[in-house]
Amino acid sequence: MSPPLRIETLTRVEGHGAIAVEYDGDRAVDVRFDVTEGIRLFESILRKRSYEDLPPFISRICAICSAAHTLTALKAIEQAFEVRVSEQTEALRELLMTGGNIASHALHIFFLAVPDYLGVPDSLALARSHPELLSIALRLKAVGNAIQETIGGRAVHPVRAVPGGFSSFPDFDDLLALKARIEEGIRDARTALDFLAGLPDPEPLPGSAAFLALRSPTGKGYYAGDQLVVQRRPDVRLAPISDYRQFITEDSPVHSHARHSRVDEQVFMVGALARLETRARPHDGLAERAMNDLGLRRPFGNPFDNNKAQMVELAGDFERAGRLVQRLMDEGIKSEEPADVRPRAAHGTAGTEAPRGLLVHSYEFDEEGLVTTADVITPTAMNAASIEEQMREVISRTPRAPEGELRARLEMLVRAYDPCISCSVHMIRI
Amino acid sequence: MNRPGVGIYGLTGCAGDQLVILNCEARLLEIAGLVDILDFPMASSERNRTSRLDIAFVEGSVMSARDEALLHWIRGRSDTLVAIGTCAMWGGIPEIGASTAEWQDMREAVYGPAAIGYDSRPARPLSDFVTVDVALPGCPIEAHEFLECLACLTRGYRPALPRYPVCAECRWQENGCLLIERDMPCLGPLTVGGCRARCPSLGQPCIGCRGPVEDANVTSGLWTLEERGVSRSVARLKVGAFHPSSLLSAEPAGGDS
Repeated sequence: MSPPLRIETLTRVEGHGAIAVEYDGDRAVDVRFDVTEGIRLFESILRKRSYEDLPPFISRICAICSAAHTLTALKAIEQAFEVRVSEQTEALRELLMTGGNIASHALHIFFLAVPDYLGVPDSLALARSHPELLSIALRLKAVGNAIQETIGGRAVHPVRAVPGGFSSFPDFDDLLALKARIEEGIRDARTALDFLAGLPDPEPLPGSAAFLALRSPTGKGYYAGDQLVVQRRPDVRLAPISDYRQFITEDSPVHSHARHSRVDEQVFMVGALARLETRARPHDGLAERAMNDLGLRRPFGNPFDNNKAQMVELAGDFERAGRLVQRLMDEGIKSEEPADVRPRAAHGTAGTEAPRGLLVHSYEFDEEGLVTTADVITPTAMNAASIEEQMREVISRTPRAPEGELRARLEMLVRAYDPCISCSVHMIRI
Repeated sequence: MNRPGVGIYGLTGCAGDQLVILNCEARLLEIAGLVDILDFPMASSERNRTSRLDIAFVEGSVMSARDEALLHWIRGRSDTLVAIGTCAMWGGIPEIGASTAEWQDMREAVYGPAAIGYDSRPARPLSDFVTVDVALPGCPIEAHEFLECLACLTRGYRPALPRYPVCAECRWQENGCLLIERDMPCLGPLTVGGCRARCPSLGQPCIGCRGPVEDANVTSGLWTLEERGVSRSVARLKVGAFHPSSLLSAEPAGGDS
């Protein structure tokens, strides 16, 4: 009998994970997604910290999702202390989230996922086979970072976004320069789309039957909104985000430093594909063209299509970011003080759509505004059970596939979920 | 001349320092021409596990037996080991200064009984286990410092990193002082420079993400915050946020809990 196959380091993912396949003779009989990332106990060490120290601290859970963590924490703080922020603040935050989404999706699609479709080990290999595409991919990612730098003050762990608003602002020339780069990005996104549309599809998988996402009040965007869409075909229901604990349940399997989540006892998906599935309005512009060119249509669910769904978002994000920047230039950006924040003993819960899916932060504060409890549920934690479920589907279909082939297929599947393993171990209640 | 062989690794952390490297978009192809990236698991599935590395960059802190074994393996195959980021250099945020027993209690409170089976322990910096040749501070590291470090090492010498506090760079930027003029709890005086005073220049007080400057006067830093209305316990959490052990050098104050 061969021993269980174990991939010690899962490559081309953020963080440390492993896939363990159990063999009975030459037949693969079981598979696990192991999260081997060390445990940093973030939620425990948040205790007794001041609300104002919370956003930059919680941001350090994960670099790639740092804008999303920062802004979700701000939303939860402002919800707890009943702070109303200005429209300009809302627009800047939406733009910052969009920049984070562009940088994260461009990194994932072109540098982590595409090598699987081309059968190459990494994107530097594209320097020989597809040099123009590599330059475009680098530029697309750079625009996402430029947006985060211009609005947030840094591409990783933003600085300017604070409780009540922003500590300082880009000036008109900064926005003008950003606009030019976004316009170049729209052209680049078209070329990138043509390339992705020509890639072969791997054999589809059924995917999980339930989806969870934040309902965007405008029908597009990642930041605003306080309602969750819980979808189990054909049922769709809305629930306030503050009720999230009523339908998300978790357990802690020994093999994984991430807890596994269920919604109404069912395995579910979050992320770009779940956003597509739960979306109230059809796409327009370049995103609509991407839907058509990539052949995406309902019902969604095949996890490999998450890569395509990210490309649809990436295309739409450039156009939307361009409109947001134009609006800020037209209206003129005001150097306004952050809204007044008066701490009190209160509880605040907020959600956003992080690049990898729904992100929930929930905190309790004492009368001085010090954190007493914290609960953070990350997209990768929510997807972990679905990843395992779909990996089992792969081995049940091809239990006798040659080891290398099976491993490659499982890795490609895990990458399609775009797991962020640093995040996944932080979904913890204190 | 052969191009220097480079490895880039992450232990436990947020991957932010590796991301800063990947974010050098316009320079990445130049870097790939200057050095031979032999092993970079976050970016490539083609791993060279055997060749000698001229330079290894390691991010994150040691939080498990797996991390420790990986670090020793990297050290063993590398001529120069560079700790990248505050976690690698100081232990960072998860280096909470707790005893192992206290830490195990916290872990069980979070994960329940399953935690006993986890390979995990309190965070320690790389230098507790191996010789670190160069350490780049920052949460995350600054791209310009990384590029300068790489340029120096490929030419056979070590980068000269700042040994002055963030305040020095803040003066050079001609910023008003957030601490003195606006009574904001800025940690610039305690924190090593190199970031060009990024946060104070954006109107935000320094939160100490680069770790302590040499001879940081932590006791005085705590008083300075208290004088501005920050309670002692919150002041300690602020000053110790990215390197909790730096508080060990603070003199105990009367009535401190």
